Amino acid sequence: MRTRRHLGFVAAAATLLAAAPLSAIFEQWTWLVQCVILVALIAGAAALARWWRVPVWAQVLSMLGALLFGLTWIFPSGAELLNLIPTSATIQHFGALVTGSAEDMRSHGVPVEDIDSLLFITALGVGGVAIVVDLLTVALRRPALAGLPMLAIYSVPVAVHVDSVSAVPFVVGAAGFLWLLAADNVDRVRRFGRRFTGDGRDVDVWEPSPLAAAGRRLAVVGVVVAVTVPLAVPGMTSGGLLSQLGPGGGGQGDGAGGGPGGSPGRVNLFAALSGELNRTDVRDMVKVTTDDPSPFYLRFAVADDMRRTGVATRVPNGAPVSRGMADPRGTGRVTEGITRHAYRADVEILSFNMPFLPVYSEPVSMSGVDNTWLYDETMQVVFSHRSTSQRRKYSFDYVRSDYTPQVLAAAPSLPPEHAMRQLYTRVDRVQEVDDLVARLVRGKRNDYDRVRAIFDYFSRDNGFSYSVSTEGGVSGQDIVNFLTNKVGFCQQYAAAMTWMVRAAGIPARVVFGFTNGTNRQENTYTLTNLNLHAWTEVYFTDIGWVPFDPTPAANIPGSARSRTAWAPDVDAPDPVTSAPAAEGGSQTDESAGPAEDNRPTRPVDENLEGVAGPVTPGGPTWPLWTVAGVLLLVLLLSLPALRRVLLRRRRHRRATAAAGAVAAAAADEAPPGVARVLPSDGELARARADAHAAWDEFIDTLVDFRIRVDPTETPRATAERLVAEGLTSGDAEEAVRLLGRAEERARYAREPLRQHAPLADALRVVRRALRGQADRRTRIVAATLPPSVLARWRSTVADVSAGLVGRIGRLRERLLRWSPRRVLAGRPGR
Amino acid sequence: MTQQAWRELGDTLPADQFRATSDAIVANIEKVIEGKTATVRLALAVLLAEGHLLIEDVPGVGKTKLAKALARSLDCSVRRIQFTPDLLPSDVTGVSVYNQETRDFEFKPGAVFANLVVGDEINRASPKTQSALLECMEERQVTVDGVSYELQTPFMVIATQNPIEMEGTYPLPEAQRDRFTARIAMGYPDAGAELAMLDVHAGVDPLQELQPVSDAATVRRMIATVRDVHIADAVKQYAVDLVTATRESPELRLGASPRATLQLLRTARAVAALEGRDYVLPDDLQALAVPVLAHRVISTADAQLARRTTDAIISDLVHRLPLPHERQRSPYERPQSANGNGRSPYEPRRR
Repeated sequence: MRTRRHLGFVAAAATLLAAAPLSAIFEQWTWLVQCVILVALIAGAAALARWWRVPVWAQVLSMLGALLFGLTWIFPSGAELLNLIPTSATIQHFGALVTGSAEDMRSHGVPVEDIDSLLFITALGVGGVAIVVDLLTVALRRPALAGLPMLAIYSVPVAVHVDSVSAVPFVVGAAGFLWLLAADNVDRVRRFGRRFTGDGRDVDVWEPSPLAAAGRRLAVVGVVVAVTVPLAVPGMTSGGLLSQLGPGGGGQGDGAGGGPGGSPGRVNLFAALSGELNRTDVRDMVKVTTDDPSPFYLRFAVADDMRRTGVATRVPNGAPVSRGMADPRGTGRVTEGITRHAYRADVEILSFNMPFLPVYSEPVSMSGVDNTWLYDETMQVVFSHRSTSQRRKYSFDYVRSDYTPQVLAAAPSLPPEHAMRQLYTRVDRVQEVDDLVARLVRGKRNDYDRVRAIFDYFSRDNGFSYSVSTEGGVSGQDIVNFLTNKVGFCQQYAAAMTWMVRAAGIPARVVFGFTNGTNRQENTYTLTNLNLHAWTEVYFTDIGWVPFDPTPAANIPGSARSRTAWAPDVDAPDPVTSAPAAEGGSQTDESAGPAEDNRPTRPVDENLEGVAGPVTPGGPTWPLWTVAGVLLLVLLLSLPALRRVLLRRRRHRRATAAAGAVAAAAADEAPPGVARVLPSDGELARARADAHAAWDEFIDTLVDFRIRVDPTETPRATAERLVAEGLTSGDAEEAVRLLGRAEERARYAREPLRQHAPLADALRVVRRALRGQADRRTRIVAATLPPSVLARWRSTVADVSAGLVGRIGRLRERLLRWSPRRVLAGRPGR
Repeated sequence: MTQQAWRELGDTLPADQFRATSDAIVANIEKVIEGKTATVRLALAVLLAEGHLLIEDVPGVGKTKLAKALARSLDCSVRRIQFTPDLLPSDVTGVSVYNQETRDFEFKPGAVFANLVVGDEINRASPKTQSALLECMEERQVTVDGVSYELQTPFMVIATQNPIEMEGTYPLPEAQRDRFTARIAMGYPDAGAELAMLDVHAGVDPLQELQPVSDAATVRRMIATVRDVHIADAVKQYAVDLVTATRESPELRLGASPRATLQLLRTARAVAALEGRDYVLPDDLQALAVPVLAHRVISTADAQLARRTTDAIISDLVHRLPLPHERQRSPYERPQSANGNGRSPYEPRRR
């Protein structure tokens, strides 16, 4: 009974370990405390029930009762008896919590704060799993099955997280499961009887057993493989161990509550955006004060990697903001039709936890932030790999640009090979979208007209409407759905427009930020989570990134759409009047500050080259990599054959050299009657070595052609066997015998065989005969992957590893001398 | 009596003369024993290896005939002892007799004082008498009344015994068997040889017409030639491996002795010389392993229950023992558990 109780506690602990992945969902650790309490209660109840030896159903009842009491105590409704006995009100309260949890799950993005309903559902789930695990492990003795409920816990964060979950909780959970399995097996062995060694000694302490060690090793290898294999598969590494270890990984622990902090490249902006917009409560996020009379949106992030599966953020790349930023006015040429004004803004972050800082476009200098904050000039975002924006105060100068439609229309198209165009028009082809874009841009002469055609398409006239309660996905299929249903919110409008503009061959990206909101006091805007917004930026040659907000302005509090002359509100009651007014305004602006009208192209382009330098060649290099990979593979595969050829050549050289020497010697002793000159030792040694070389080559040939090689056979016997088996015929028979005789003499006689036909020729004859008798498969294998070389390598590896194992074993033996366990094992048995 | 010193053998014979002589002896014996060339050559090899021969087979296959034919082919002294249960050791070794004329004890040499001693049905003598051969076979001398008499060279005991009949026989002790260099079985002649034998042996015993083709001096020179045969280190290693394998074999209770190793190599030399080689091959050892080793080893009770004869066990050992490679380890060798106790070196001993 003692061991069974022990197993029950191990099951409880394993359940808790398996719950580790839930840490990715919650910001705080309250859930863990509650789960520990609940699981401990359940395990205690189970142990108590087993102590009384009640049947299994009663054990289950006791555990369920413990779960109920625990939940009542942790989540009281206030109507319990003595705060402990659940009443009907408690059950109703639980029901309300469960209903609420479903709601909260929808309205909150991960990681969530401590919300009672979510904590309740977590505690309930972990408690249930604890009961099932206990039941499977102790009552049914099937601990392996207990892995399934544990896996159910693990699947929760995996399903919730859009990004992949880090590997550490998985390892923790796996360790718990393995512990459970190991404990169960030890228990099984104990039940079987006392462990007993051969020399009549009781085993009551741990003792090394090769089988158990093998099991432990297998378990560790399994976990390691499970963690590392996804790293090796491209496309699965986004949130895996590598990025954990990478420089971006530090963000998680830095912010007070974790939050969506973390690497700037890993934040799922769309999920965060829809999560915030869907929240029922309103909370102030940012307070910004600016001297700009009509600021455009505050922006903080860019999503520019559009694929069929969704839109992702590239990891930004830049220099610290303290080093200054490029001024769009600071460079040379003047462009008519662009108005630029410098303003200053002060920002106070209230509740906004991101690795980005919201700024107005385009900032030229910043103060109040430290060196960890970097500025990506291409993306025009301020980001950090280590800090988050929570509770920061900073100020910055920025330049706001206004464009006239004329100047945009005058901008030429980017050549297709331009880095900017290659980078920002990359998009997966979706047939429906392409058809629609082709229809919209037909007959349009310049980029701006094409963009406007797409932009204007998102109007109420075409049936588009705004609703936050849609799914909000941004994958290729989601875009098609959106274009069909025509109901969505900002992120779908922005993603769809970006997608379509890109499909039209014009660089575009999705931008995240805040609208100007409704809460304005003087020059101070207080922005809430409902003011989060996404829109599109389109790149025009020599002008730069120009914002377009395709979302219907009527539904966006604080929309600045009516203020952009180049992207007017298509749903506005009188677009005709608003556009000229804006145009007029920009005209005057332009006349007011012609000196400030500078072309931002240079810095943007230069910077882009710096950023895109390593990226742009990435596209067409894959064939190179493939070819290189194939070449490498071929090289690797041909290594054995190469080795075989080299070996044969070396031996052949020996054999021919020997023949030459012999011929020379024969010529020397040609005159009859002359006493035979005794060969020198060196000559003998050489003849011997040559015979050995020829014989080795012969044996390797046999191995290559899959003819049995018997190490117990003498050379003579081998040759005779080959002849007897009919493997050689004609002159090959003679050649085989010659090889055997030469090797035999070289090995065992006083003098090696001299005066004979060249061994190389004999080898060639034998080889030809053997090849003639081998089947096609054997021939191919002998030519490509010679078994002789492979066998030799294998035996070398085996020797080396055996030596290594032996050495490690000796080392271990030496170290074990100091193991306290050995001291314990040496004490007299009971 | 002229005592021929054991070590004075004379010069080596040239190869062609050696070959001619050996072929003549073999051909002479074959006049009597048809179709048993290998056995006859082995018998000759044992003679040249300065060993003793034990011919063991069922009655009537020509054991005694082979022994006598070998003896008659050589012009040397031959004595025959018919071992009977009442034979005394002094009949074998000799006895000191009081001479009335000289008033002194005079040594009358026994049957062993000859170049060839044919001991017929050796297992019929009592162990006491069998033991009389121990000294003379190994040390080639006879000690009677405290005086040692050296035997002649060549000296060879050819004994026959019948393994089937157990009634009234005394199995040879291990010490005695170990002194025989080789045990050969005659085996039945094949059909053709038996048919030929009927013609030859019908009228007159061809043994009577057998003329010596060689003499003791030539045999001594042949022995000297055999001693000169080269044995490479690898072959010596192989012999040691082979003998070690018999000692480690789980099927054998008693392995071969160091004397067996020595005699194995000696016989191998003789065989090599008979084949016209001046070097020994592992092939020779493989061929000789069963005749030279099988009668010295004792199989375990398990192997006996499994009807495994020592011949089969030794033959298996030969087929499983890899050749020693004087150069690097051959990559095609299977790992061999040759570390003494037959266990894998990685098997922990404690469990």
